[in-house]
Amino acid sequence: MTELPWLYAGITAYALASVTAVVGVGRLGVMATSPSLSVVSDSQRNNERLVLALMTASVILLVITLAERWMRIGHGPFVNLFELLISQLFSLGLVYTIAYWRIPVLRTTAVVVLPLMSVLAIWVLVLEPSDSVFPPTYHNPWLWAHVGFGKFFLAFCLVGTGLAGVILLRSSAFFSNMFRHLPDNVILDKLAWRFMLLALVFDSLMLTAGGVWAQDAWGRYWAWDALETSSFLNWLLLGGSIHARTTYNVPIRLGAILIISVFVFAFITYFGTPFYSQAAHKGVV
Amino acid sequence: MLQPAVMRVLRRLASTKLTLLWMLLLAGGAALSYDNPVETSIWVLIVPMLLLAINLIAAIISNRRINRRGGLLVFHIGLLSIVVLAAVGRLTHMDGRVELATGAEFSREAISELRSGPLHNGALDQVNFVQGPYTVDYRPQMMRGLTHSQVAILDLEGGWKEVVVGDDRPLVIEGYRFYTTFNKGFAPILSWLDEAGNVVETGAIHMPSYPLFDFKQSNSWTPQGREEIKFWLQLETGLTPDESWVLDGNRATGTLVVNVGGDRSELLPGQSVKMTGGSLRYERLSTWMGYKLFYDPTLHWLFMAAFITIAGLGVHFWRKISTESLGLDQSQQSDNKQTKGSMPSSSSAVM
Repeated sequence: MTELPWLYAGITAYALASVTAVVGVGRLGVMATSPSLSVVSDSQRNNERLVLALMTASVILLVITLAERWMRIGHGPFVNLFELLISQLFSLGLVYTIAYWRIPVLRTTAVVVLPLMSVLAIWVLVLEPSDSVFPPTYHNPWLWAHVGFGKFFLAFCLVGTGLAGVILLRSSAFFSNMFRHLPDNVILDKLAWRFMLLALVFDSLMLTAGGVWAQDAWGRYWAWDALETSSFLNWLLLGGSIHARTTYNVPIRLGAILIISVFVFAFITYFGTPFYSQAAHKGVV
Repeated sequence: MLQPAVMRVLRRLASTKLTLLWMLLLAGGAALSYDNPVETSIWVLIVPMLLLAINLIAAIISNRRINRRGGLLVFHIGLLSIVVLAAVGRLTHMDGRVELATGAEFSREAISELRSGPLHNGALDQVNFVQGPYTVDYRPQMMRGLTHSQVAILDLEGGWKEVVVGDDRPLVIEGYRFYTTFNKGFAPILSWLDEAGNVVETGAIHMPSYPLFDFKQSNSWTPQGREEIKFWLQLETGLTPDESWVLDGNRATGTLVVNVGGDRSELLPGQSVKMTGGSLRYERLSTWMGYKLFYDPTLHWLFMAAFITIAGLGVHFWRKISTESLGLDQSQQSDNKQTKGSMPSSSSAVM
C-alpha cells in the first residue's frame, strides 16, 4: 500500500504540532508571571509559526496520501472507516489550519483541537488499511456535496469545541495562567457560537444534499436509518442549543458544554454509527 | 392589526420555551422512529411536528425578533413550509415494487407492496414503458457494480425511444420514479398448448433473484383446474465468483427441469412436454428486473424550500457577523496591521 508512508508522515506531523502547541501554551503558563514578557511574546510567536508549519505539512502529506490511495484503488475516500478517517483528518486539519492562520485568537485552542485530532490519528493507525469497493449508488455528484458540506459542519464544530474547551479549562487554577493572554470569556463565547451558527448552515446543507442523493440512489429522501436519525438528532441538538443561546441568558460555561455536546454527538454520528448499525445507510450497496 | 387578545394567545403559542419543549418531543419521536419499527406509531412524529408548526406560525406573526429580520423570517417560514410539504408528500405519495420481464409492458397490475397516501392523485394510467434487456457488472467476490437497464418509453411523436436507467438514474414518467434494484433474475417464457397444438397462453415464470439465490432457481405454477407444475432452472451464466463478471441475459442459457406429479423432464428452448389436456412448451430464456416505485409530487418543492430556508439562515448569519462586533481588543487589531504580510499575532494581550 503505497499511501501508508505518506499517512505515517502526515500523522507524525500532526503529533509534533500537537506537542509543540501544548508545550508552547504550557510555557506561557509558566512564564506568565515573569517580568520579561517580550521574551514570552517572541517565543510564543515562533512557537505558533512552528505549529502552523507542522499543521500545513500534515495537511499536504494527507492530500498526497488520499491522492495515492485514490489512484491505486480507483475511487475517493467515501466507503470504509480507514479512508473516511484519513479524509476527516485532512479536512478538519485544512479548515483548522486556515482558521489558526487567519484568526489569531484561535491559536491557543490548538491545545484542545490538536489532541482531539491526534485521537483520530491514533484510531487510523489501529485500523486495518484495507481497500474498499465503490457501491454503484455512489456514482452521484450529490454524494460529493453531501460529504463536502458534512466536512465543513464537523470542522466548524471542532473550532467551536476548541474555544469551548479553552473556556472550560481556564476556569481551573492549573490552566488559568496558560490562557491569561486570551480575551475575556464573553468574547470567546461569542466567537464559538458564530462557528456553531456556521456549523448549523452546513449541517442543514449536508442534510439537504444527502436527501437529494438518497432520493437518486435509493428511491427515498428520508427513511429514518441509523445515520439519518442520528444526523437529524444532531441537527435538533445544534438548532436547539443555538435557539436557547440566542433566546435565554445561557451561562457561558453551560454554553461551552452544549457546544462540546454537539461535537461529541456529531463525532458519534460520523464514526460511531458503523458500530451499532450494519448498514449505516439503508441500501448502501 | 390583530386584536390584543389574539396577539396575547399568539404570543403564548409562540413561546420560545415551548419551541424547546416541542423540539425535545420531536427528538424523542425521531429516536423512537429509528429504523421504522413496526410498533412505533407515526404520531410520535406528527404530534411534535404539528406543535412545532403552530409554534412557528405564532412566532412568525407575533415575534418581532423574527418578523423584522429578513433572513430569520425566511428561515422560519422555510422551516414551516418544509413541515407542510413533508405532510402533503405523505398524503399524496405512492410507493411499491414492480417486476417486469424483458419485453413486458408496465401496467398497474404489476405493482406489488403498493402503498399510497389518501390524497394520491397521480396519473399512473399515463405511465407507459416496455422493459428491455439489462446488464449488471460484478467485481470479484460478487460485489455488484453498475446496472444498465434498457427501457422503451413513448416519445413526443408517439413512437418508442430507448433509454438506459440504473442505480442512481431512475426512469421518471409523469412524476413516477422507477429505480432498478438488486432484485432481478431469469424468467423462462412458457406456452400452454391445447391438444391440437394451438397456443392457449404464454407467460413468464419469474425465478428467484439471481445471483443472490443462485442455489435455488425454482418456482411453480398451477394452471386453472390442473395439477401444480414445479420448475427448476439449470443456468449457464459464466458466473465466476473470484473474477469480474457481467450478468447478461443475452449470454445466458438454461435448461428447464419440469416436474409434474413426479414425472421429471428436462427442456431446452423450443422443446415441450406432454401433460394432461395439452402440452407445455419452453419458448426461451428471458430475464426480469425488479424496480422500486416512488411518487411524491412535493419533491422539487421540498428541495426549493430547503434551499431557501438555508439561504435565509445564511443571510441572517452574514448580517450578524457584519453588524455585531466581537469586541476584540483594539490593540490586537493594530498589531495585526503591523504584521500584515506575515503571520497575524495572537500574543498582543501578553505584550
